[in-house]
Amino acid sequence: MHAPAVAQPRRRIAHLDMDAFYASVELLRRPELRGLPVVIGGRRLAPDGQPRPLSEYAGRGVVTTSTYEARAYGVHSAMSMMKARALCPQALMLPADFDEYRRLSRLFKSAVASIAPDIEDRGIDEVYIDLTHVPGDARLVAHSIKAAVRDATGLTCSIAVAPNKLLAKIGSELDKPDGLTLIEPDDLESVIWPLPAKRINGVGPKASERLQKLNIHTIGDLARETPQFLMRHFGHNYGRWLHDCAYGRDERPVVTFQEPKSRSRETTFEEDTRDWDSIARELVALCQQVAEDLGRRGYAGRTIGVKVRYDNFRIVTRDNSVAVPVNDALSIRKAAFAALARLAPAQRFARPIRLIGVRVGALSRAGAEALDRAGRGRTLALFGD
Amino acid sequence: MHLVTAERDALLKPIQTVSGIVERRHTLPILSNLLLTKTDGELSFLATDIEVQISTKAQCEKGQDAATTVAARKLLDILRALPAGANVSMELNNKKLNIKAGKSRFSLQTLAAEDFPTVSQSAEFKAGFTVGQKSLKALLALVQYAMAQQDIRYYLNGLLLIVEKGQAKVVATDGHRLAFAALAVESDVDRQEVIIPRKTVIELERLLDDSDEPIRIDIAPTQVRFQFGNVELVSKLVEGKFPDYNRVIPTGYKNSFSIAREELIGCLQRAAILTNEKFKGVRCVVGDGSLKISCTNTDQEEAQEEAEIDYSGDAIDIGFNVTYLLDVLAHVKSETITVALGDANSSALVTTPDNTEFKYVVMPMRI
Repeated sequence: MHAPAVAQPRRRIAHLDMDAFYASVELLRRPELRGLPVVIGGRRLAPDGQPRPLSEYAGRGVVTTSTYEARAYGVHSAMSMMKARALCPQALMLPADFDEYRRLSRLFKSAVASIAPDIEDRGIDEVYIDLTHVPGDARLVAHSIKAAVRDATGLTCSIAVAPNKLLAKIGSELDKPDGLTLIEPDDLESVIWPLPAKRINGVGPKASERLQKLNIHTIGDLARETPQFLMRHFGHNYGRWLHDCAYGRDERPVVTFQEPKSRSRETTFEEDTRDWDSIARELVALCQQVAEDLGRRGYAGRTIGVKVRYDNFRIVTRDNSVAVPVNDALSIRKAAFAALARLAPAQRFARPIRLIGVRVGALSRAGAEALDRAGRGRTLALFGD
Repeated sequence: MHLVTAERDALLKPIQTVSGIVERRHTLPILSNLLLTKTDGELSFLATDIEVQISTKAQCEKGQDAATTVAARKLLDILRALPAGANVSMELNNKKLNIKAGKSRFSLQTLAAEDFPTVSQSAEFKAGFTVGQKSLKALLALVQYAMAQQDIRYYLNGLLLIVEKGQAKVVATDGHRLAFAALAVESDVDRQEVIIPRKTVIELERLLDDSDEPIRIDIAPTQVRFQFGNVELVSKLVEGKFPDYNRVIPTGYKNSFSIAREELIGCLQRAAILTNEKFKGVRCVVGDGSLKISCTNTDQEEAQEEAEIDYSGDAIDIGFNVTYLLDVLAHVKSETITVALGDANSSALVTTPDNTEFKYVVMPMRI
C-alpha cells in the first residue's frame, strides 16, 4: 500500500456550498413553510398565491431543488415533477424565482469576499476560496465566513477547508447542512477513503458503474489499485487522474476569473408544439434574456445559435455568425431567426418541438467595448458616477 | 345575487379608472382581477398590484351586500365593446359573474373576495395638502418624462416630492438629465421628502383631469395617498436616498440664448431623422447669432439645420442626445425657451420665461 501523501500541504483551500440554496431562499420569504417538504419547480403559483401540494401537479417540469425534508423522501433536483409527486405527494411546490436567487448569490459572494478576496465562482450557490494568505486558524476563518454569509443573507452554508479543491469539495458534503469540516493531509485514510468513489467530483454515474464492476466501491478501494491498472481500464489520463484523486492530490489553482465562452438560455414548452406563434414568442423572449445576461456582464458575441429538441429528444442546432460582435436583443433575435431559417421548413416542423434554446458564442469583452465606441453617444452622468 | 344595473358608461368609467394599474402577468394571478364590493347602495371597484392600489365607486340599487373578484381585462373589454348607452346588469351566481346587456350574455369566472390582497393603509398620514387637479397634473407633466425606467438605482425610478411650507417641489432624473418644478400650495406641515414610484406617477397623471376640482395628498412614512372625486389612490413609497438635485442645477452660466420652442423642435426633429436606435446624438454649434444643429450617422449621411438666435457669448460646440432635448420641448408649454451653457463638457440648463420654478438640466453627449 502507498503511503498517503498530499501535494502542496501548505495550501489552504475552502469549498463553500450554500445549503439547499433555492429552497432556503424561498423559506426566508415563507418562514411558515419551515420543516415541511417543499419542492421548487412548476410554472406559477395558484391564484391565491399559496403553494399547492405536489399531488395537484400534472405536467412535465423538473424539480429545480427541494428542501432537506423533501430530500428525505428521495426527491432530488433534476427529477421529473411527476416522479417527485409519486414519492412525496404532500410536498408543497413553489415556482423558481431566479432573480431573487441571483440577488442573494451576489450578497453571499460579496460577504465571502469581505473576508477572503480570492474566490472562484462555481455557479449560483458555490465558490472555492483560497485561504492560503488569509491569516488565522482555519476553523476560525471558516467560522467567520459562515457568520458573514449568515449576516448578509440569513442563510446557512457548509464549508470545508482542505489542502486543495478536490478534498475541499468532498469535505463540504460531509457535514451538511450548516457544516464546517477541516481536512488535514493525515485525514486521508480515515475520512476520505471510506467514502464512495462517486463522491469525487468528476466521477459520474457512468464511471461509477464501471468502477463497481471492477469491485471498486470506495475511494480507499481506488487507492488500493495501481495506476497501471486504472490506466488500463479508464485510459491514460482519466486513470492517472483517478489515482491522484484517491491520494488527495490536486494542484488546480483557485481561478478567480474565467472568461466565459458563451451564454445560452433555453426553455421546455409546457406541451410539445408545432405552433409557430408560441415558438417564435419563446425565441424572442430567450434572445431578450441572453441579451440582458451579456449586457450585465459586458460581453458581445459573434456566433448566434439556436437549438431545437423534438418530442423524440433528437436535437438539432444551427449556428449563424455575424460580422461584428453583438449583444443587443434585436441583433441576437435577427441572427437567431436566420439560424432557425436554415432548417428547411419540412425539417423544422417535422415533429412537435419540446425545447428551444438560444446561445451566443465567440464572446469577447473587446467586442462589447467596440460596440460602445461605435455607439459613440454616451451622455455624461449628472451625478458623477 | 343581483349586484347592479346601470348604463354602460356608469360602469365603464370606474372600471377604466382602476384597471390601469392591473399587471397582466403577476406572480399572484388574483391580482389580474378587480375587487367588486357592494355595500349600502354603493358598488366599489378596487385594483392593486401590491405596490399601488386604486379604488372608486358607483351608485347602485340597495340590496344584499356582496363581494367578488373578476378579471379586470375581460370586464373592461366587455363593457367597452357593448354599445354606448346600453343598460348593463351584473349578477353573481354560483361563483360566476353574469353580465347582461340587450341580447349579450357573459358568464365570467370569479375568485373569492377574501383572497384578494388589499393594501393596508398607514395609520400615520400626517403631512398633507390640497391643490386643484389641473395644477397637479401640469406639475407632474413638467417632470415625469425625466424619471428613470428600470434603473438599477431604484430610487431614480420615481419622482421626488418635497412638501414644505407653502410649496410643493417635484424632481425627476435618470442620471443624465433632471427636471425640477415647484408649485405654491397651502400647507403648513414640516418639510417632507418622499419618492413616489414611477408607475404611481404615470397613473396619477392619467387619472387627473383639467379641472379645478381638489385633490388631497397625504403622506405617511411609507405611503402616499391621493383622494380626488370618487377616487382614492394609495401607493407605497420608494425607500432610498434621492441624489442631491440642487448640486447639479447650474447657476451663473454666462452663455445663454432664447429660441422659439416650435422652431427648435422642428430643427431637432428633422436632424433626428438621421439618428438611429444606437446613436441619438446631435451636434449643436452655438456662435455669433446662430445655432447650427447637425447629425451624421454611420452610413456617412448628414443633416444640417440652422436657426438665428440672439447670441454673442462664447462659441460652443456641444453634443446632446436628441431625445433628451425633444422631451423637454414637448412637455413645456411656453412660446420660447432659454438655454444656458457652460462649456462643451458641462450640462445645459433649459428654462422657460413663463415659469421661473421650472428647470431642466441635461448633460452633454460625447460625439
